[in-house]
Amino acid sequence: MMDSITHKAGLLTAAAFGIVLGASFGSTVVSAQGMPEGFKKGDLAPPPSAEMIEAGKRVYFTKCVWCHGVDGAGDGPGADRLWPRPRNFNQGTFKIRHTASGELPLFDAKKPIAGQNDLFETVTHGLPGSAMPPWEGILTEEQRLQVLSFVTTELVKDRKFTDKESETQSILQLGELNPKQATEESIKRGAELVVEKKCVECHGMEGRGDGNAFNLKDDWGFSIQPADWHKCWNFRGSRQDPYSVRNIFRTFSTGVNGTPMPSFADNTTVDERWDIANFVNSLCERDPLGNPLPIDPLTDKPKINFVIPSDPVEGEIPTDIAAEAWAKAPKRYVAMGGQITHKPRNFVNRIDDIWVRSLYNDQHIVYLLEWDDRTKSVAEGKLPWAPTEVNIDVKEQDPKTGEEGSIAAHQNNYTVYNDAIAIQTAVKWKELPAPIKPRYLFGTNEQFPVDIVKWEADGSLRAFLGTGWDQDFQERDNYEESMKILMAEWKNGRWYVMIQRPVGNKKDQDYDEDTFFEVGQYIPTVFFAWDGHNGDAGRKMAVSAFYYTFMNPPVPQETYIYPVVIAVGVVLLEGWVLTRRANRKKGKTL
Amino acid sequence: MKALMSLGALIGVAGLLLLGGMIFDIVPSTTIRLVEGYMPMQLLFEVGCYVIGFAGLSYILNAMGMAIPRFWQGIGFWVFFLMYLKYRVYPPIPFSVRAMYGTVSLVAVFMWVSANEEDWQKFKQPIMNVLDAQTGMNKLLRYAYLFLLPILIGGFSYNAMMPKSEEPIELRTVHPAPPASTKVHGKTYTLQTSQNPYRVNTEGKYDQEYTNANIVEQGMGRLMKPNANPWDEKNQGYLKYVREGGEIFFQNCHFCHGDNLNGRGLHAFAFNPIPANFTDPGTIAQLQETFIFWRVAKGGIGLPNEGFPWASVMPPWEQHLTVDEIWKVILFEYWHTGYYPRTWD
Repeated sequence: MMDSITHKAGLLTAAAFGIVLGASFGSTVVSAQGMPEGFKKGDLAPPPSAEMIEAGKRVYFTKCVWCHGVDGAGDGPGADRLWPRPRNFNQGTFKIRHTASGELPLFDAKKPIAGQNDLFETVTHGLPGSAMPPWEGILTEEQRLQVLSFVTTELVKDRKFTDKESETQSILQLGELNPKQATEESIKRGAELVVEKKCVECHGMEGRGDGNAFNLKDDWGFSIQPADWHKCWNFRGSRQDPYSVRNIFRTFSTGVNGTPMPSFADNTTVDERWDIANFVNSLCERDPLGNPLPIDPLTDKPKINFVIPSDPVEGEIPTDIAAEAWAKAPKRYVAMGGQITHKPRNFVNRIDDIWVRSLYNDQHIVYLLEWDDRTKSVAEGKLPWAPTEVNIDVKEQDPKTGEEGSIAAHQNNYTVYNDAIAIQTAVKWKELPAPIKPRYLFGTNEQFPVDIVKWEADGSLRAFLGTGWDQDFQERDNYEESMKILMAEWKNGRWYVMIQRPVGNKKDQDYDEDTFFEVGQYIPTVFFAWDGHNGDAGRKMAVSAFYYTFMNPPVPQETYIYPVVIAVGVVLLEGWVLTRRANRKKGKTL
Repeated sequence: MKALMSLGALIGVAGLLLLGGMIFDIVPSTTIRLVEGYMPMQLLFEVGCYVIGFAGLSYILNAMGMAIPRFWQGIGFWVFFLMYLKYRVYPPIPFSVRAMYGTVSLVAVFMWVSANEEDWQKFKQPIMNVLDAQTGMNKLLRYAYLFLLPILIGGFSYNAMMPKSEEPIELRTVHPAPPASTKVHGKTYTLQTSQNPYRVNTEGKYDQEYTNANIVEQGMGRLMKPNANPWDEKNQGYLKYVREGGEIFFQNCHFCHGDNLNGRGLHAFAFNPIPANFTDPGTIAQLQETFIFWRVAKGGIGLPNEGFPWASVMPPWEQHLTVDEIWKVILFEYWHTGYYPRTWD
């Protein structure tokens, strides 16, 4: 537990630290008032009225208490199965602010204005990448202000939002600062600065959040991971506007209270901060033309296309990821959720997306799978169960709350298993009438099985037949030689895996076991992924919905012939209409 | 009359600006929200407003001496309707459905412009003018059409023939017919006669009236009744069980069905079909408690054949929860959404 004295002391030391830092490096950027550049002194907001607080209590106990707890200690019934955990309000430690590091966020019950009311914006837009949803459209503006009035007065216990003695407000003047153009030069300078300012030590060399990933703790001792800069839609402070450079600038300027992320306001100029923000923003996934990905307003994640197109290749499929054919192949975002339907369930899911590309030739189809995983996990020694075993005994997270013995305290002390990925396709997909797919997890039954190709980080690639969620896999023999791992590399927080499997041949192979990949058909495909450091094994894994693999047929000859024929036909038709009209007019005038 | 028409024109202009803004991504498409469950009515109302707006606009322009010819009015309205379908309606509707609406609206436009002989003449006059090519401008147009039409139609057919991979459309029965009875944890429950054992008053007696009086209030936010807080430690009966149900919900269900029971949970974005939205009047508000009991206990796997395409990830909760826990969760879901379960009579 932290007390308010540490906080106040923290403020002083932070200020002192800034000066010491400046003295030693000769680069302090502190304005005349003793404020870091871009900040201005602000006044504390007036306290909310008693009616607002009382009304807010009603909102809190309908909507918020379930995760944030009766006393606002972030220990509601839902808390322990969540990562990131719900906020503990008691210490007044809030992450997303316009105020200097260690200060309380901006909140004024009478001013629901963007940029001037941090807590209101957090409730309005939610915290993407966490379980906190946007409450806009669910609660009225008034209700949102009411509940915040209740939280800031009754549940923040160690500090007081209105106490002039103990609280100060140094407010980042984000509205007055204009973002710098994201020129190549600015981005390049930002790339140098993130190394110089040691951002990469935690966020990783490529910014995938893989540096020092499993040793960081928040103020309460819970494990916490650095942000993955390539998934800007998961930035907590993105305010549902993920590609906005302003929000990155704000986080970098004010730090994230309660976490190891400090404020860099004291040792960077505003100009440098824009460079860094531009660089971080430039890393976020974009489409091939460099435009931001379209974001689905219902989920605040990239829009999903459920068809994974596979392009034809003449001859061998290139194994080099930089090859032209791969560069041209369409890349699909595959959303992954935790498998929480069958035990052991995966409540704390670490792999939330995979990027998939595919190519095929007359014999094989290759999937190139890329996904961010902060740690490379390879199980040491033999796994305690057979690879075909499904009903394995992996301990599930207790819903127990509180610190000692809770899952959150143990979050990173799992047995480490293999990182892994699998592709599940339906075996007899052609026998199912059009939109019908086999049962979701590991197949329906003996009659409608699925074909599962699984790669594990220990280098193994196996093929299984799944006949139901609770049935052990059947290992397929004579299948290994026809499959191949073309690439499997973990680099700077990202796996790159290329899996090759036969397209299948109805004549030579057993139709009951194998999926046949036919050109121009929609083949139901599901992806599974395991993060070994998260204790993922067996059914504790990340799952996607049903996607379709679609092998693009080569363009047929007719595509070029018929349109020309049609165009000529139209010309003839036009001639006929015109002559008819002309004749009729002649007839009339005659 | 004039004032009324000016008002109409104002609506028309504002509406067009809004739609234009949405098409070019200047105005966020969420500016005017589509309210779940009321979407069809809302869309009809909006189109109605547009029609009034256009009538007003046309009247005003006429009065100002800048009347739009009937020909362009017809085309303009049709184009507007197509744009409206494409850019306003969210989640987007597939092209094939839009094409159907487009055809129907085209027929409607034709009926409108050919309502009487005079109008029809007015409508087809511009076409005839181009065909006759009496003026230089029309001559130019005629040649342009001569070239452009074959190129465009050829291009469209090329586009249509190019192999493409669009998502196949999937239809499914949302509420398949339930079985007569279901067996959970070794006990058989007849759906017609079973009751939620926790729907009880403070004395522990089954009491629908009492429990219905203590659910959250309808209206924005759906907040609890001021003196019916399930977190009150003195609670007995219904409200106590609501709280216990909520605890189970927030340990198991909210990951998909969402903190606000609207199907927008933490993992929901990854699934297709998206998880059920209980706040929508089309889901639990339409169903009996025992139906929910059956669906929760048996999950996606327990769906009958008409529940295809079997892509539901809803687990059979009997594997994870006891019968009592399932009933409590159901109690909580009705409490939190403010709906009454349907009864059999």
